[in-house]
Amino acid sequence: MAWFTDRQCFLLAVVFYGLSTVYSVFLWRKGFRRDEWLNYLLIAGGVALHTVAMFKRGMTLHSCPVNNLYEATTFLLWALGVACLVYSLLPRFKFLAAFSAPVLFTVGIFALMPSLDPPHGPKPEFSGALRSLHAATSLQSYGAFGLAAVAAGMFLMQRHDLKVHKLRALLSLLPSIQRLGLITFRLVAVGFVLLTIGLIAGAQLPRPAGDRYISDPKVLWSALIWLAYLESLVAYKFFGRTSRRFAGMVIVLFVFLLLTFWITNLYSAMHQQ
Amino acid sequence: MSVVVIGLSHRSAPVELRERFAFAGDKIPLALQELRTAGIATEATILSTCNRVEIYAVTPLAADAAFAELKKFLIVHHAYDGELGDELYTMAEPHSLHHLFKVAAGLDSMVIGETEIFGQLKQAYDLAFTHKHTGARLNKAFQRAFNVAKHIRTETNIQRGSVSVMSAAVELAEKLFSSLGEHEVLVIGAGETSEKTARALLSRGAGGVIVTNRSPERATALATELGGRTVPFEHWPEEFDKIDIAISSTAAPHHILDRATLEPLMKRRKHRPLLLIDIAVPRDIAPDVSDLDNVYLYNVDDLQSIASDYLKLRQEEVARCEKIIAEKVAALQEANQFRP
Repeated sequence: MAWFTDRQCFLLAVVFYGLSTVYSVFLWRKGFRRDEWLNYLLIAGGVALHTVAMFKRGMTLHSCPVNNLYEATTFLLWALGVACLVYSLLPRFKFLAAFSAPVLFTVGIFALMPSLDPPHGPKPEFSGALRSLHAATSLQSYGAFGLAAVAAGMFLMQRHDLKVHKLRALLSLLPSIQRLGLITFRLVAVGFVLLTIGLIAGAQLPRPAGDRYISDPKVLWSALIWLAYLESLVAYKFFGRTSRRFAGMVIVLFVFLLLTFWITNLYSAMHQQ
Repeated sequence: MSVVVIGLSHRSAPVELRERFAFAGDKIPLALQELRTAGIATEATILSTCNRVEIYAVTPLAADAAFAELKKFLIVHHAYDGELGDELYTMAEPHSLHHLFKVAAGLDSMVIGETEIFGQLKQAYDLAFTHKHTGARLNKAFQRAFNVAKHIRTETNIQRGSVSVMSAAVELAEKLFSSLGEHEVLVIGAGETSEKTARALLSRGAGGVIVTNRSPERATALATELGGRTVPFEHWPEEFDKIDIAISSTAAPHHILDRATLEPLMKRRKHRPLLLIDIAVPRDIAPDVSDLDNVYLYNVDDLQSIASDYLKLRQEEVARCEKIIAEKVAALQEANQFRP
């Protein structure tokens, strides 16, 4: 891998995610009737190349590679890919790969836009244990939210099939509806805890004189995301929000997160430094 | 010498006739001995089940003569004095081998792809083998039949899915819950189908059973039989906190569970899915409860339709199985040709 740059390694990883996406469409059309290892291996191949890409970038910078939008996005995708590989090892969860592949592929393509990856100066601008903790936990929380959205998608599909297309539900090898509901809730809870740690760590970071933590657009956006997930968890756990609505909200929130993540970064003075 | 078969099955004869020609298990060795002593067969096996009576034989006679002798044997052995026409079928090689392979794979069974016949055929063969009524020809034919059946089972979907109402209910339960062990079953109305469904769920590891019935005696009897407990009929809604599967089959002329009753009960369940199996006609459970979150309701038509759809899927697989059998029969015949 020495003859490939870190971006080329990531490009290859995206190719693997793309292949997995194409194969996922085939699996979806077939109704998820076979226990699928090929798709898992494609995602594993992609994550391996992705890890090499991040390692190379990290070694170049001598710090956690989360200094610009490209790095932050690839870190988020990596967290999603690794979580997907781990959870796919649970019985009947291999189809997580089929549901995660389109997210990994489309966001991966977006991350490859050259304007997201401006050249760094000779020294990493983004260093220090607290900053790394802030960036890593925040991005890992997005990964957990992403995987929760994937599990929620599986939940809604299985729920619909069990109510309407009963034979399709029986023929598919998706996990039980009970387990899908539980995994979705737990992933959101894990993501929420990680985001909380990320926000607390971020609040401790030194800021340029005159900058107020709470008035930064990215911080406001993060607080909004945090509140939205908190509301979802509390409403579901204590106020009888239906499983269907909870799953729908988890998907909507992650789509919102993906679509607005870059915009808020661009408008945040603190995150532009 | 070739393998021939004579017999009658659910396809050719009604049960009244099949039972007239059935062989009791302990009488089969003697019947096989008779066949060999009479010179009709050098090797023979008799398969006698509720759906078929068949004699597989290796005969030194020409096929037509062998069939006439075998028919006479069946009539005399069972002291049958009625008319016998198309009910009795006869086949010589290669059709006899093809038929044997189909029977072993469950393709000739009433429920396509069922596996019980495999065990019955194996038992019939073992009995003949133990009493030394089989030889090289039949041994090879039966061993190949068993191998082909196993091959078909693994390579095709002929045995996939539930083809009965009870097994469809169990399969649905397994799609809802990760493991049945933690889930109790409530049986409302101690009818025969609900009893069978509860038994099927228990056999797959369901956590326990609660029975309720208008007649408490019947409820107690069934609960004792299933190793469960009873609740008075007027108190069964209170059990909805504990159970996750309910099977209903009362003779009530109206719905005994509707949305207004279930909605507050579901709130207490905290997102736990509830499987409702309504096998009563007229239905016990109002269909609109299905709109409630985490409620999965299936009535007898739903279960029947799942079973029929599975059966259709199995029928679609028959062509694949037939192709495999044709290849294996050809291979066996080729192997027999080279035998000294």
